[in-house]
Amino acid sequence: MGYGKGFHGEEKEFDLEEMEKETEEMLKIRYLNSDNADFKRTEGGFVSLKIGDENYERVHVVRMFPFTDPEHYISIRTPDENSKEIGIIKDFKDVSADTRKMLEEQMNLRYFTPIITKIINIKDEYGYAYFDVVTDRGACRFTINIGGSAVVHLSDTRILISDIDENRFEIPDIMKLTVGERKKLDLFL
Amino acid sequence: MILKYAISKELRQELGLRENEELYYCVPYDIDDDGSMLDDSYIVVSNFRLFITKKGKVLESLELKDAGEVIAEPLINCGTLIWKQNDTERKLIRYSSKHLARYAYIARGCRLLKEGETIPVESDEDEKTCPRCGRALPGTKECPHCTHQKSGLINSMWKYMKKYRMLLTTAIILMLLATAVTMLNPALQRILVDDIIKDENGTMKGAMIVLLGMLALSIGIILINAGKYYLCAKLGANMALDLRKALYGKIQELSLSFINDRKPGELMNRVIGDTNRVRDFMSEIFCDFATIAVIFVFDVIIMLILNWKLALIAFAFTPVAVGISISFRKVIHRRFHMQWVKDDNVRSNLQDVISGMAVVKSYGQEEAEGLRFNEKADAYAATQRSNETVWALFFPAMQFILSIGTYFIVFFGGRSVLNLDMSAGELIQFVSYTGMLYQYVGWLSNLPRHLMNIVTAHERISDVMNQTPRIADGEEAVEHEIQGNIEFKNASFGYKSYKPVLDGINLKIKPGEMIGLVGASGTGKSTMINLIMHLYEIDNGELLIDGINIKDIALENYHSQIGVVLQETFLFSGTILNNIRFAKPDATYEEIITAAKMANAHDFICRTPDGYNTYVGEKGYNLSGGERQRIAIARAILNNPRLLILDEATASLDTESEYLIQKALERLTAGRTTFAIAHRLSTLRNADRLVVIDGHHIAEVGTHNELMEKKGIYYGLVNAQLEMNKSA
Repeated sequence: MGYGKGFHGEEKEFDLEEMEKETEEMLKIRYLNSDNADFKRTEGGFVSLKIGDENYERVHVVRMFPFTDPEHYISIRTPDENSKEIGIIKDFKDVSADTRKMLEEQMNLRYFTPIITKIINIKDEYGYAYFDVVTDRGACRFTINIGGSAVVHLSDTRILISDIDENRFEIPDIMKLTVGERKKLDLFL
Repeated sequence: MILKYAISKELRQELGLRENEELYYCVPYDIDDDGSMLDDSYIVVSNFRLFITKKGKVLESLELKDAGEVIAEPLINCGTLIWKQNDTERKLIRYSSKHLARYAYIARGCRLLKEGETIPVESDEDEKTCPRCGRALPGTKECPHCTHQKSGLINSMWKYMKKYRMLLTTAIILMLLATAVTMLNPALQRILVDDIIKDENGTMKGAMIVLLGMLALSIGIILINAGKYYLCAKLGANMALDLRKALYGKIQELSLSFINDRKPGELMNRVIGDTNRVRDFMSEIFCDFATIAVIFVFDVIIMLILNWKLALIAFAFTPVAVGISISFRKVIHRRFHMQWVKDDNVRSNLQDVISGMAVVKSYGQEEAEGLRFNEKADAYAATQRSNETVWALFFPAMQFILSIGTYFIVFFGGRSVLNLDMSAGELIQFVSYTGMLYQYVGWLSNLPRHLMNIVTAHERISDVMNQTPRIADGEEAVEHEIQGNIEFKNASFGYKSYKPVLDGINLKIKPGEMIGLVGASGTGKSTMINLIMHLYEIDNGELLIDGINIKDIALENYHSQIGVVLQETFLFSGTILNNIRFAKPDATYEEIITAAKMANAHDFICRTPDGYNTYVGEKGYNLSGGERQRIAIARAILNNPRLLILDEATASLDTESEYLIQKALERLTAGRTTFAIAHRLSTLRNADRLVVIDGHHIAEVGTHNELMEKKGIYYGLVNAQLEMNKSA
């Protein structure tokens, strides 16, 4: 839109006490574990949650530190647009093996970042580079825009490549690639 | 964007379509249940059913009428299509980001089909890769590789060139002359050696004549080249200028949606960058191309005539020369690209730190930042050093290798000369031609890259030029003096056709009425105003101005009768006078002063050092928000608009200027049909009617009192603001 932005959102119903209570609640961290939270698979392939008398037909399972610590601090959130936090799973040890499995399934559903295991070829042509690679999800070809910020360094050896469709591919350790593969990649590092 | 991929006969059979069942959409999905990549799997939608197919087999078919909703849910770098039935959500399939937007359209398409709508959803968005060759598209509709390509390039270049026919002809004559002169020089050398130096009758006078001839040729080539480059540069600059003007004109003509769909930098790039590429091509590549191509052909012919055996030896070495030039270029490109990347790293780090210096200092992080910078600067310096070394070593080495072919020629040719099969002069001439051959073959091997550059630039330019403005005057566009009757008839609109912002809007406004638009942000208030201003075309339904469809009113005529005051006032670089005059360039001083007085702007303008001639805008005199707003109001008043639009005109102003502006606005709105959006509901107290927009629809319409009695959304909003003021 050309203009008309910068307009603060407004709640339809307004109750000062309610709002203050909500703000207070937002500050609290509620850790979920097998004692207080009851996760269940839904028929449709998602996960529902029951905490005491709170019932959620479906929850989002979100990594807080997807790059630095993907297996800890998992935020369980409501699935609506203004998604709110229901609670945090600090460590999967806190929940049953079965729960852990279903939550991991949900995360696998949510995130899609294939890991590049082998670089077959990279062809660069007129501002775009065409990658032909093997990933943990199968063989794959994708295209990146060379001029843009397609390659992001997560650390000195770990990189994330975004293609023109905004898919992301990860190379966890470039030093584990062969010299030949690294040379192909060199131009983009 | 393709929403209906071709479907194979076998799969079609497999679907088992019923009578009257038609296919509407067919889009691929590319992630399997276990998260691995998948191909040849599609979601197919007909007017009755949604099919999930995988590798040519139908896994499942679902009746659209059973669906509560079909939802395309975006996840992280992927998305999932959800089937909601009886309030249970079920995951159907998963797709990567590549198809994210596609499925958003499909979800909307399913909803419309379910509602009985038979017109398929279409998408104007461009594909990212060419469906034919798989190459990335440079932000254009057509692929520069696959479509009309070079023939189209020549045609459209000719369109811009033919204006300069004389210039072009002269340039081409000079190019041919340059060829002739270049080819003549070695011939003179032969005469000098064979007929004068080696000949017993050779005289000093003869030698001087030949030498003078060579001197004349050398001077000639300098003059010819100078003339040639001058003409080509002129040609290129003129063409780029024409293109730039044409592009700019076109961009202004195109609707806002075209501009908003693209990043501002991208359009700037096309007007400046791509036209520059055309200029560079004309003045550098085109200029040399004709000369070099002709020289090359003659070179080959003359070499064959002079001594075909030697010529074949020389040619045998050409692939090596081409190979060497190309690989040298690759290495150098690679190295200097890396250098450029490292340089960029240093720059962005520097920019980051300098703009965040206050934070760096206040957290005492100078040392850490210093180390980081040093690291990057060192890396850059190291690359630079190694590149210069490589360049210094590599370039002469390449030159040497390229000249190896010449050594062979000298060797074999020398033997011929000793055997008296060839004269010494002929050998010298031949060696010169061989040198030329290798020199130009390298240049020519670079040509495809230059050509692709210009083809891409051309494609990006014609992509804009070939757009038809979505909002344009039809043949029957009428001039119409606005009375102020406005009627929305079942109107829907979305910036993207799959995501409606306004849906089923019905509203009738009488002349002179002031309408206040109310609702949470993002509900479509500004969108409604954009539609009234006819910056966008509504998707469905009608918008009538005094009973005439807005599409049938001449655009310029319509816009000249609308006044607009926005939250962020845009002042062009120029004087206050010019800014007020913007909509009516022929306004007299009296008119301008009256308008400024009505806008409560006259007094502050007189307080500025240069009065109405004060320079404002970027780098100009600093006006406060309220002052800018009042200039905008003066601008609107001057135009004496029939229709007035105020979008957050008084937001974020201090109380005093708000009062002044409020007063100015009251004068402005008197007797005019007005649409006003305001966050602070108190500013809408003069509105005749308030329209509350919620969830893409009009939720409530009425006066302040009516809506307060109704105790609906508006009532809630007013109370919320009262509470806020109390607690503040």
